[in-house]
Amino acid sequence: MSFILSFEPLALEPREHAEAGGFVSFEGKVRNHAQGRSVILLEYEAYPEMATAQGNELVEEAMERFGLLDARVAHRLGTLNIGDTAVVVQAAAAHRREAFEACEWIMDQIKWRVPIWKRETYADGVSEWVHAGSAPAEPHSDQIRFERQMRLPQVGDVGQTNLQNARVLLVGVGGLAAGSLPPLVGAGIGAIGLVDADLVELSNLHRQTLFASSDAGRQKVERAAAFAKRLRPAIEVETHFEALSETNATRLVDSFDWVLDGTDSLDTKFLLNEVCRKLGKPLVTASVHQFEGQIMTILPDGPCLQCLFPEVPPDHCVGTCATSGVLGVVPGILGAMQANEVIKGILGLPTLDRQLALVDLLTLDVTRLERIFNPKCPICSGSERSSALEWDLQHLPTFDFDLIDIREIDEQPNLKRPHQRIPMTSCYEQTFVRPTVFVCATGRRSFRLAANLRAAGNRHVFSLLDGLCNPALK
Amino acid sequence: MVRVNIRYFAVLRERRGLSEEQIETSAATIGECVNQLVVEHRLGLPVSLIRVAIGTDFADESTPVQEGMQLLLIPPVAGG
Repeated sequence: MSFILSFEPLALEPREHAEAGGFVSFEGKVRNHAQGRSVILLEYEAYPEMATAQGNELVEEAMERFGLLDARVAHRLGTLNIGDTAVVVQAAAAHRREAFEACEWIMDQIKWRVPIWKRETYADGVSEWVHAGSAPAEPHSDQIRFERQMRLPQVGDVGQTNLQNARVLLVGVGGLAAGSLPPLVGAGIGAIGLVDADLVELSNLHRQTLFASSDAGRQKVERAAAFAKRLRPAIEVETHFEALSETNATRLVDSFDWVLDGTDSLDTKFLLNEVCRKLGKPLVTASVHQFEGQIMTILPDGPCLQCLFPEVPPDHCVGTCATSGVLGVVPGILGAMQANEVIKGILGLPTLDRQLALVDLLTLDVTRLERIFNPKCPICSGSERSSALEWDLQHLPTFDFDLIDIREIDEQPNLKRPHQRIPMTSCYEQTFVRPTVFVCATGRRSFRLAANLRAAGNRHVFSLLDGLCNPALK
Repeated sequence: MVRVNIRYFAVLRERRGLSEEQIETSAATIGECVNQLVVEHRLGLPVSLIRVAIGTDFADESTPVQEGMQLLLIPPVAGG
């Protein structure tokens, strides 16, 4: 048993693990005050069968999540005095960080998931039952929580139900998400998905205010999920500690109703645009630069991002937060505007569909431009990439050429034909004098590369259609 | 020569070092006009990656340049 309930004072001896470099033992104590009132006595009560089952389940989850060697929890029941130990959580791991993180995570989860209640007796003789964790999930608490917005005729019961049935995916959990996540959770969105492969860094914190200084080095998705759960424990949160790519995009986007692009990569923005278009998902995309931002809402039946920019621009050409700098409040405001777009969209209110808003936060000028369908858009023009553009080769050419695999160095399998490997980003720094055919996993990256190099005046570059799946390479 | 107002956004504003200016140009089309600015000020983006709007509407690069036009130069933006 990893989760023990006990009416006796807790005594949990650490178990020895030769591989453990870190062992953390946390004790939760009975303190003499709660929400400004003086506490003299505490009483814990549980629904023991369910509490033990839930408790064991979450300890197992922690073992897997943090790669622990051991984890145990003991929780007191019955009457406790000030200073008594109410709960002990122990975690052993190869390294200290996992052990610390696991202890905190387990403690949070106990409060949210395990049915244990406490009765606080105050100095004035009054006593009250309170849930050991956050607000109890009573049906009427939502009524109070959302009262102020349900008062709006545009929201009401129906609008609130629609918000609570909605599933919203945030791709990129950085500065934009710091602006969009709190109001989305606050508004009662039913489920949030978070996708990001980054860890929190100190240089993020001036704009990514979902995180605390102590979060440095931890997964952004996991810390953002903890933030969302603190704000509204009933919310469903799904975390994906991975970067959006051609391989996982469809799987990640498919189960959501709305998608927010909070990434800082043009490549990802255009990929997300293409995937959302294919799956018929509305997308709110935003980007920031120094003191300004761009935002647009792309509905399945309106013009898309590539109608605006038919050619996918290479990532390094337009500056980033790291190279050009950004005031921390700018992504916060643009992110909040993204949340506003999603909430309005769910409520059936007007959005930035078919528009592009340019937001200048130095002057507070907002310029709105009408976006229209563009016949040059490879996604919306209805023309297949292969027939529209001559350099998307169906077969390997008969003339003499160089074959270059532009996938990242660690991507498998290797090509069977003689070739060079130059990752896509490095290709932009090279001049290709001889006729050159680029190949990637699916033909998408190589096509963009060839298109961009052609736009820059290089006439001898080609992309192999369907990449590794092209029969010529089998 | 005609006078045209130019507004720069995002990385173009940064590279040009100002938000707005009035220029005199001999360019026949707005595409040519933007290309001249890209070359003269080393804006670092090909014309094909810059969208141009006249007033509040996007315009094709073949649109003829006219006296007093207000051109908005909008590049893609990546930061998040």
